[in-house]
Amino acid sequence: MNALTIKALAFAAILIIATIAVVTSLDIDIMGDFVYAVTMGGAIAIAVITAFVTTKYINQMKTDTPSGDLADENWDGIGEYENELPSGWAYAFLATFLWSMWYGFLGYPTNAYSQIGEYNEEVLAYNEKFESLHKNADAATLLEMGESIYLVQCAPCHGNTGDGLSGKAQDFTGRMTKEQVLYVINNGSNQLGYPMGMMPPGMAAGKDAEDIATYVAGGMQGEKPASFAACASCHGEDGKGMNGMAPNLAQYDDTLMTLVLEKGKKGVIGTMPSFKDRLTPVQQKAMTVYIQSLSN
Amino acid sequence: MFFHWLEKNPFFFAAGISIVISFAGLLEIVPNFAEAARPLVDLKPRTVLQLAGKNVYKKDNCISCHSQMIRPFKSETDRYGAYSLSGEYVYDRPFLWGSKRTGPDLHRVGNYRTTDWHENHMWDPPAIVPGSIMPAYKHQFTNLADIETAYAEAVTVKNAFNTPYGPEFKGTRAAWEAHKPKVLEEAKRIADDMKNKDIKEAVARGEVPEVVALIAYLNSLK
Repeated sequence: MNALTIKALAFAAILIIATIAVVTSLDIDIMGDFVYAVTMGGAIAIAVITAFVTTKYINQMKTDTPSGDLADENWDGIGEYENELPSGWAYAFLATFLWSMWYGFLGYPTNAYSQIGEYNEEVLAYNEKFESLHKNADAATLLEMGESIYLVQCAPCHGNTGDGLSGKAQDFTGRMTKEQVLYVINNGSNQLGYPMGMMPPGMAAGKDAEDIATYVAGGMQGEKPASFAACASCHGEDGKGMNGMAPNLAQYDDTLMTLVLEKGKKGVIGTMPSFKDRLTPVQQKAMTVYIQSLSN
Repeated sequence: MFFHWLEKNPFFFAAGISIVISFAGLLEIVPNFAEAARPLVDLKPRTVLQLAGKNVYKKDNCISCHSQMIRPFKSETDRYGAYSLSGEYVYDRPFLWGSKRTGPDLHRVGNYRTTDWHENHMWDPPAIVPGSIMPAYKHQFTNLADIETAYAEAVTVKNAFNTPYGPEFKGTRAAWEAHKPKVLEEAKRIADDMKNKDIKEAVARGEVPEVVALIAYLNSLK
């Protein structure tokens, strides 16, 4: 070991000590964390290896004499020895070449990045997480979820408070207005596909229709008009649609919500588009809970 | 040798490099592009009324606040519907992707808004969407849409780009007069869903207010 090696190692030691000093002064516990320890080990290795490699080549430059065969060509008098290709360099080149073949013909074509693919994976993962998280959601969660869906999907037409923006859309604070009931009585309805089938136009007329409309719009309160018998045969005595056989005239029940969201609705106010496949089953349940909360 | 000459002539060297790089680009980009730019199965070109509405959309500069391009991110598809495909735009000349969303994206607005909503909204946006900064477009209720130019546009793209309009689309006055009732019939279907009396009367007279054409166009964005 000559003087140069000792100097180089001393320099490396100073570097290492300085590094440790700075890191310690920053209140970092080097041995307390695996990554810190590996990083510091790497830094020490680099400093020591650099010291040895540098001394080796400096010594070689001082003592080496030229030997071997010169190549034929020279550049303005500067020649070149016919040395073997360094083996490490040659293997690295070969490895790069093989890798490029693999990447070009197999790696990239079979594993290319796709924006749509990433989107599909993201949606799939999210939906699974969402479904498992809310499988047994309680009422409060559903109400909150329903409100946030409502504000994005429904509020642009039905208003932030669900009041239908003074007659521009269905008013969720009540079930039906007198005008709506009269319109259905006069025009019939067959949009939602209830098991009872089509409601023909003109089930009641004149004063009878007026009475029914007032009664239904009033939320089935007060005295039931005799003419309501025409409605009761399908919608039930209480107007609740006989468990999903016909539309519920008193509440926004599950069946009504599901069918309207799926098929949309056209009425005296205007047209509502279908929201088929836009909501998951859990979200749809949440919507029902929220809409029901608006009319209570 | 040839490369000695090339090394001494930087201009031709640069030109050569450009050719080599463009060739690689051509090989990578063009096949993808040709595949993606084909029309979707069952894609129909816009009707004359919808084209007239598209011209209203351009004239009133909806594009400066609304995009028509849903990107494949969950946050976007949750709100606007399925992400856009390039094959959906092939008959749009020009496409109206837009680059700024002051308002929402409109590429699938026909799926979740209806004629009566648009009628109320174009008349007074803040009354429908509280806090909306969109201005009212009341002039669209009185200005008339130029359906004749829209028809000419349809004939032009049919002749120039082979857009699949039917054989009845010809560049003659007689062909237009024969087609006009179809446009008015479509306008009437829109007007039937509207509440504004003036609009209904105008359409019954054979005029097409801008808002009717625009709604036809917006409803066709699905």
